[in-house]
Amino acid sequence: MKPTVLAPRSGLLLATAILLAGCDGPQSALAPAGDGAERIANLFWWMLGGSAVIWTLVLGLAAYVTRFSRGKHSLVASRWLILGGGVVFPTVVLSALLIYGLMLIPALRTPEDVGMRVEVSGEQWWWRVHYPSPDGGGPIELANEVRLPLGERVAFDLLSPDVIHSFWVPSLAGKVDMIPGRTTELIVQPTQLGTFRGACAEYCGTAHALMNFQVVVMEPAAFERWLAHQAEPAQPPRSEIAQRGLESFLANGCGACHAIRGTEADGRLGPDLTHVGSRLGLGADVLPNTTEAFVRWIGHTDRIKPDVRMPAYGMLPDDELAALATYLSELE
Amino acid sequence: MLRQVERLPRRIAGYFRHVLRCLTGGSWWRGIALLGGLLTATVLGALFVAWTGLVSVSAHTEHWAVTRWFLGFAMRNAVETQSIGIEPPRLDDRTLVLKGAGHYETGCAACHGAPGKPRSLIVQHMIPSPPYLPDHLEQWDPSELFWIVHNGLKYTAMPAWPAYERKDEVWAMVAFLQRLPTMTPAEYEALAFGPTPAPGDGGSSALLDTLSDPLGPVLADCARCHGAEGLGRGAGAFPKLAGQSETYLLESLRAYANGARKSGVMQPIAAGLDDEVLQRLARHYAQLPADATVPATDEADEAVEYDEAELAQALRLAEHGAAERGVPSCTDCHGPKSGPINPAYPAIAGQYAEYLALQLELFKSGHRGGTDYANVMHSAAQRLTPEQIDQLARYYASQPWEAIERVTEPRD
Repeated sequence: MKPTVLAPRSGLLLATAILLAGCDGPQSALAPAGDGAERIANLFWWMLGGSAVIWTLVLGLAAYVTRFSRGKHSLVASRWLILGGGVVFPTVVLSALLIYGLMLIPALRTPEDVGMRVEVSGEQWWWRVHYPSPDGGGPIELANEVRLPLGERVAFDLLSPDVIHSFWVPSLAGKVDMIPGRTTELIVQPTQLGTFRGACAEYCGTAHALMNFQVVVMEPAAFERWLAHQAEPAQPPRSEIAQRGLESFLANGCGACHAIRGTEADGRLGPDLTHVGSRLGLGADVLPNTTEAFVRWIGHTDRIKPDVRMPAYGMLPDDELAALATYLSELE
Repeated sequence: MLRQVERLPRRIAGYFRHVLRCLTGGSWWRGIALLGGLLTATVLGALFVAWTGLVSVSAHTEHWAVTRWFLGFAMRNAVETQSIGIEPPRLDDRTLVLKGAGHYETGCAACHGAPGKPRSLIVQHMIPSPPYLPDHLEQWDPSELFWIVHNGLKYTAMPAWPAYERKDEVWAMVAFLQRLPTMTPAEYEALAFGPTPAPGDGGSSALLDTLSDPLGPVLADCARCHGAEGLGRGAGAFPKLAGQSETYLLESLRAYANGARKSGVMQPIAAGLDDEVLQRLARHYAQLPADATVPATDEADEAVEYDEAELAQALRLAEHGAAERGVPSCTDCHGPKSGPINPAYPAIAGQYAEYLALQLELFKSGHRGGTDYANVMHSAAQRLTPEQIDQLARYYASQPWEAIERVTEPRD
């Protein structure tokens, strides 16, 4: 007999454990690692707790009148209950929630203490990122990856040249739409070191689900070093095969769309590739950043990301593709 | 007498009703069964006659007059109805006429004849025999001619256009056909053969020289449109080939041959040649000097004047593209630029503007196809505006045709 009693209970425990495990991870609003996400998570838990209490009360009341006190109730008492529970109580609770929610907003949006402004443009289907230059020059263009110093308040200026996208790093902050013709703002203050995942949260076309990015929160000193490195031009090819990769890159016209600072490639249509080898993912985080993945990406872009603007270069001979991939992976 | 005549229709109707009643016994079911039986008997009878092998399929004798009338009636009405809504472009364009003439000689003249060229005796024994076109064009308007050339005609030997997507080529043919009824033999020769002497008119030693080379007859045929010097015919109907990248020429010929590049004109020509011939042709044209002046022909357009400011704007577009529209730069692949260029990419500076604009339009529409690299251009041209296409074509046409450095060895 015992197992039959235990089985449903252990199944329930297992299911709960699996469900709860989904709350953690690099892309969860329930595992906050930033000021905004913490406030939002707080609001969520308060709402969850409150709704649980109200739900229990309502069900309790329903059980009471249907099971335990089936007789006629006093008309006056019933009216007071309906008025109190149906009008006064929700008004008070919802107003309190609204005021609490509205009170969160100024703290999330005050531009004071903002240390750095990063511009992110959502484009079908990748992220163009501009950091201020550490030496005060023009902005540095990067792509598909954001790095932030721990504890600093950073403002994101969000843009879109084509359709509406939405910038969302659930672990760090709420989501904000990127609307063509406007600049929207999101302030982020990371409170934990780590690597988090961001995604486009507004359907923006065929490959919407393949428009992601990584956010790395670093120690301020490490961040300074990273930014200074990203500001530098690309390093020249270190091997003969990488040299052939660079030649192939230029001869095949990749520079029409991609820039590699320090070479003749100065295209502005697609992601800047000056330090592409240093990123954590490829193609807006749809593939890992390995030489093999580079070969796959360049050769079959259209199959990995349907409707992508970059034409697939699968017609290049295998050795040339390999040289290209080697060169690009070495651009750290 | 008069009353009898007046009664006649009623009497005939009454007679038929009587016969019908006798056959069906007044029952609907019997009537339907009778009709079904008759139909079955007709089908079986027709099958039986066909099975015996006695149907006349011989082209030695003409159709019965009634059959000929019926087929012609069906065809004329089909063409008339199905060409409704086809809007002809401007047809008095010399580029279109030249292009049509070049292909008429390749694909049409053998069956339909041409000014000074009767139809071959063989095709005159076809049923239906293809009409001698110069005399039979007046009955069709341009839209109807377009429909016929584009679709062909079933049960005749008239084929559909081999590259159905290339409506522009069909219109070129229609433009030529507009001129055909009033064309003299000399005008036809000049249009279809250009300054090169027509094969078969004999005598010229240059012609004998080309004939002694196994490639000679092929080259002579190419020269009708692309010129003996590979410089086209001066009017933008045909691209310059001289000095073009050998890899690009070969891969394009192969793409025509296997149907990857769509053209009702070039596909049939390339598909009929061995790969070895294609290789020799590519080498031949790549080695011809690119800087020779285009021979002046009567079809040549006057030099186009380019506005300086407009040229500067076009140069910016060529060098940087139009980022806000997602248009990449042209120069990174086609020059002018300092570094190496993939030999599979064509040189386009100094090419005819009309040809370049047409290619960009075809790439934009997604119908061009081409070498293994065609997808790059299909993607690049997708968001060009008609104004940008015009600007870029005229910009590159105005630049000197230059041999661009190509470091990579051509691949096999």
